Amino acid sequence: MTAVPRVLIVEDNELVTGAMQILFESADWHVAIANSVAAAVADGERHPAALVLLDLSLPDGDGLSLVEPLRALGSRYFVALTGRDDPETRDRCLAAGCVDVLVKPVPVRELLAKALAWRV
Amino acid sequence: MSRTPAQGGSPEARASALEAQLKEAIVEIAELRARDGLKTQFLANISHDLRTPLTAVITHAEILRDGILGELSPRQLDSVRGIINGGRQLLNQVGEILTYARGAANQLTLAPTSFAIRGVFEQISGLNESLLKKKQIALTIDVDAAPAHLYADREKIAHVIGNLLGNAIEFTPVGGQVWLRASLDQGGPAPCTLVEVGDTGVGIAGEHHDLIFREFAQVDSTASRPHHGTGLGLTIARKLVELHGGRIWVESDLGQGSRFFFTVPVVEPE
Repeated sequence: MTAVPRVLIVEDNELVTGAMQILFESADWHVAIANSVAAAVADGERHPAALVLLDLSLPDGDGLSLVEPLRALGSRYFVALTGRDDPETRDRCLAAGCVDVLVKPVPVRELLAKALAWRV
Repeated sequence: MSRTPAQGGSPEARASALEAQLKEAIVEIAELRARDGLKTQFLANISHDLRTPLTAVITHAEILRDGILGELSPRQLDSVRGIINGGRQLLNQVGEILTYARGAANQLTLAPTSFAIRGVFEQISGLNESLLKKKQIALTIDVDAAPAHLYADREKIAHVIGNLLGNAIEFTPVGGQVWLRASLDQGGPAPCTLVEVGDTGVGIAGEHHDLIFREFAQVDSTASRPHHGTGLGLTIARKLVELHGGRIWVESDLGQGSRFFFTVPVVEPE
């Protein structure tokens, strides 16, 4: 691992990625953004991120379908970002291999505190 | 479309005219149902799409509030907190519309677990703490006669109680009282947990007791009941209670406070 950890934010809404980018950069992460499943795989092939934040509904597919391929490319932690605060969605994300499920709007302090644990 | 009553002519001609009208009506009903379904789906989609930009507004405002981009002056902080509070209120309302739309489209499912009702009462009262303090309303919780555990969808039961308590606080004047009570009700055909959310507020006239649970209905017209929200809170509460096989009703009169009750059948985990 490099000194500055890398996070890949997979989300197609620029309003959301803009906020996430500010947050993670303030906590000294290197931030990469992908707005589709295809762009996320392309990013992983170039430079796997330690942490991947996944939006569930992307223009070209389900964000959870990225867990297996990105893990195979070297990513370690997957965290789902979802607008749906229900147990079914949560179970589906955990079953797909996510370590956590964060419901938007993610409380800023909570996300920064959690991000510390995923830096390793 | 013609809707002239079948009159005159032979009995056979009248019968076939009636039959044609019946067929027409059946086709029309099917069309209306399909259009109603599309509208419900539209409502679910649009409320989902509204959430995303709204969550971004809230996150950006929280970034400012937390000083991540530099410290704010106290007045700037007040203003940013206003954005966050307004945004969260709007987000809740959008969430209510989404829950309503899913309920109307029968897309809500139950994920039952075993839990104690006291924990839910405490959670909901905690969420309303600042509002209770602001209006100097005393909240009491009584679970002495409640079954030890409920087997139900905890989140949805909390949603129902949250909606009922929100109303109770809203319609109770400064200095009033609200309460959350649970007990075992063995009076019916099967044992139920009976939950009561009561207040000493403005009350509801008898003729409105059914109306308030109907879709899009708000009992308005008097200045004594200023209200906010989508008007869907009680419709959603009824839907979520009925999904559990329970029943919801109100006992109240104008100026006499209100007591909302709902039941959840006592079920053993499988």
